[in-house]
Amino acid sequence: MALLEIRNLHATVDGKQILNGLDLKIDTGEVHAIMGPNGSGKSTLSYVLTGRDGYELTDGDILFDGVSLLEMEPDERAREGVFLAFQYPVEIPGVTNMTFLRTAVNAVREHRGEMPFDPMDFVKYAREKATDLNVSDDMLRRPVNTGFSGGEKKRMEILQMAALEPRVAILDETDSGLDIDALKVVADGVNAMRSDERGMLVITHYQRLLDYIVPDHVHVLANGRIVKSGDKALALELEKKGYAEFLEQAA
Amino acid sequence: MPDGSEHMQPYLDQASEASSSLPGAGVGWIDALRRRGTDLYGMHGLPQRRHEYWRYTNLNALAGGSFRLAGDPPAIKLPALPHQTLADVLSYRVVLVNGRLRQDLSDLGTLPNGVEVGSLQALMAAAPERLEPYLGQVAKLDDMPMAALNTAFLSDGMAIFVDADVSLEKPVHLISVSARDDGDAMVQPRHLVVMGRGASSTLLETHISADGGACFNNVVSELHLAEGAKLNHSVFQHEAPTSVHLSGTAVALAAGSTYDSFVLQSGAEIGRSEIRAYLNGPGVDCRLDGIYLATGKQVVDNTTYVEHAAPECRSRQVYKGVLDGEARGVFQGKVHVVRDAQQTDGHQLSRALLLSPRAEIDARPELEIYADDVKCSHGATAGDLDEDSLFYLLSRGIHPHTARRMLIEAFLSEAIGEIPVQQVADDYLNHVQQWLSDHVEERSDGASQ
Ligand SMILES: Nc1ncnc2c1ncn2[C@@H]1O[C@H](COP(=O)(O)OP(=O)(O)OP(=O)(O)O)[C@@H](O)[C@H]1O
Ligand SMILES: [Mg+2]
Repeated sequence: MALLEIRNLHATVDGKQILNGLDLKIDTGEVHAIMGPNGSGKSTLSYVLTGRDGYELTDGDILFDGVSLLEMEPDERAREGVFLAFQYPVEIPGVTNMTFLRTAVNAVREHRGEMPFDPMDFVKYAREKATDLNVSDDMLRRPVNTGFSGGEKKRMEILQMAALEPRVAILDETDSGLDIDALKVVADGVNAMRSDERGMLVITHYQRLLDYIVPDHVHVLANGRIVKSGDKALALELEKKGYAEFLEQAA
Repeated sequence: MPDGSEHMQPYLDQASEASSSLPGAGVGWIDALRRRGTDLYGMHGLPQRRHEYWRYTNLNALAGGSFRLAGDPPAIKLPALPHQTLADVLSYRVVLVNGRLRQDLSDLGTLPNGVEVGSLQALMAAAPERLEPYLGQVAKLDDMPMAALNTAFLSDGMAIFVDADVSLEKPVHLISVSARDDGDAMVQPRHLVVMGRGASSTLLETHISADGGACFNNVVSELHLAEGAKLNHSVFQHEAPTSVHLSGTAVALAAGSTYDSFVLQSGAEIGRSEIRAYLNGPGVDCRLDGIYLATGKQVVDNTTYVEHAAPECRSRQVYKGVLDGEARGVFQGKVHVVRDAQQTDGHQLSRALLLSPRAEIDARPELEIYADDVKCSHGATAGDLDEDSLFYLLSRGIHPHTARRMLIEAFLSEAIGEIPVQQVADDYLNHVQQWLSDHVEERSDGASQ
């Protein structure tokens, strides 16, 4: 049984059809990359998977460990182990990263039947994870994403992933806005999370990221469906040729 | 006869009955001031919608005249304060029960030289001439009907004098307790704070009820800050849900003075804070901030008037509130900039979170500017929690009720963070957390399922 199986997914946003019969299977231990032109529906897919309000599934199904996600609220999906690193992380003034992370991690731990961290233990836990991602104590004390640079926000997303230890992680353009050093830090963080128990879906526009996070499969998303799949060579080919071929096909 | 005249008579009758026995009776200017209060209230009557500053808060609850002027304060003990940390703040403590100073409950320790804290009644008897320049002078009674009513009853309250260049390290903490008398008590306390040149101090006020009974508490405070004086003023209104708490504060600010006010309102059936700040000299810095928490059928009103009467002054106002149930919020704020008040920097903002479809806010921020070189802005927002923020928290596995709660608390704690005394800020935050646990958590939990 696949870890995540997306079947014939059709979805609308504000009444507008965005996903048109998307099929995708991700097994544990695998990293899949999705590439595709702007507006093709990549972020929409990530929101449909995480259950965001306003993204309406009109046909198809999403199975996680063989169980449909459709009946689950966003927070339940997250506690089951679905994680999304946002393309545009949200700023929340007045809530510190530490409080945010602790509340989230403890909600997930309780769901798994584990003991929640007390605040002191959690500080240790968070610091350990933070060090690997060059996230300073000062950043942890600051309000969530508030006033953070684009690159800092992306590092915080990966920190959240590391702290929550999801079973499937969707990374929506986590590489955009990162400088060369930060890209390596983030890629190392992601690679450290690769495991036999976890699957990943990496959305990106740039082949460069895939030099660091080497995918098992690469898919092209155009006009709301997967139009081509291959191995990492496909990413190199796209880098050279662009998407013209797929857009013509659709037109 | 003005509208509402039928409602004013019961209170005026009580005022005239009381007048000969009130402290300071026989002192010419005090008698005259009380008469002025009586006359002005007589002209206005109970404020009605057509009164500019009373457009959205209606006082019909007072109309029957059923509240009776409180007599000698009942011999109650000091009730527990809403939060212990407030009680623990090292302070000079002044306790009023039904507007009268209770020496036995107060603790003034040893005040430094140049500082006087005591009852207005004692001063009216001993040295009324010291009060004459301020009482009824800072507050513009002809435009504040309820302050006029208070003046008709002028008798007691707290008076603070801080001499020039004296800075009072510990805050003065005024604890004002409303207690049922024989029936529903009416209390008309009058406070005066006079800060000399370069003086500085912190005033905390906590308004609570001793029991569940209804009280009509009509507080008037006059604050006078000389050149370069500085006053931090934090007010916490948490009276019983059946009470009416009206507060009118007038502040006269001389050149270079700083007034920093924070008002937290969560109590009373009708809770109203009106602050009028007169920025009379250049270089004044005036902050008026506040938060409010209301549920059921509570009405909570914050009305401000900031008069930039001199150039190069700065005023900032941020009022934030959470309204649940059928509660109604009011924010009326006017920044008035006279023609000569160039380089004025004036901002005001009202933000309300409406947690239920039946909660309401009337927000009316207003700028009236006659100078041409100014930086002014105003704004008002009202609505539910931000969807993007909520989804972000949910997407991390946080339960909906916790997520909502975190966002509401964040919204309010940003404002609380502006309070300069850390212990007070912590205490107000505790109160907010408690209030949210009591009123919000369960319902939104249910709503999310
Ligand atoms: N609320 C909305 N109302 C209408 N159309 C929407 C809405 N949200 C998204 N869309 C549209 O859906 C399409 C897919 O958007 P999506 O964000 O999924 O693209 P994407 O593949 O992630 O693009 P990018 O590479 O630029 O991030 C776009 O055409 C977009 O304009
Ligand atoms: Mg996108």
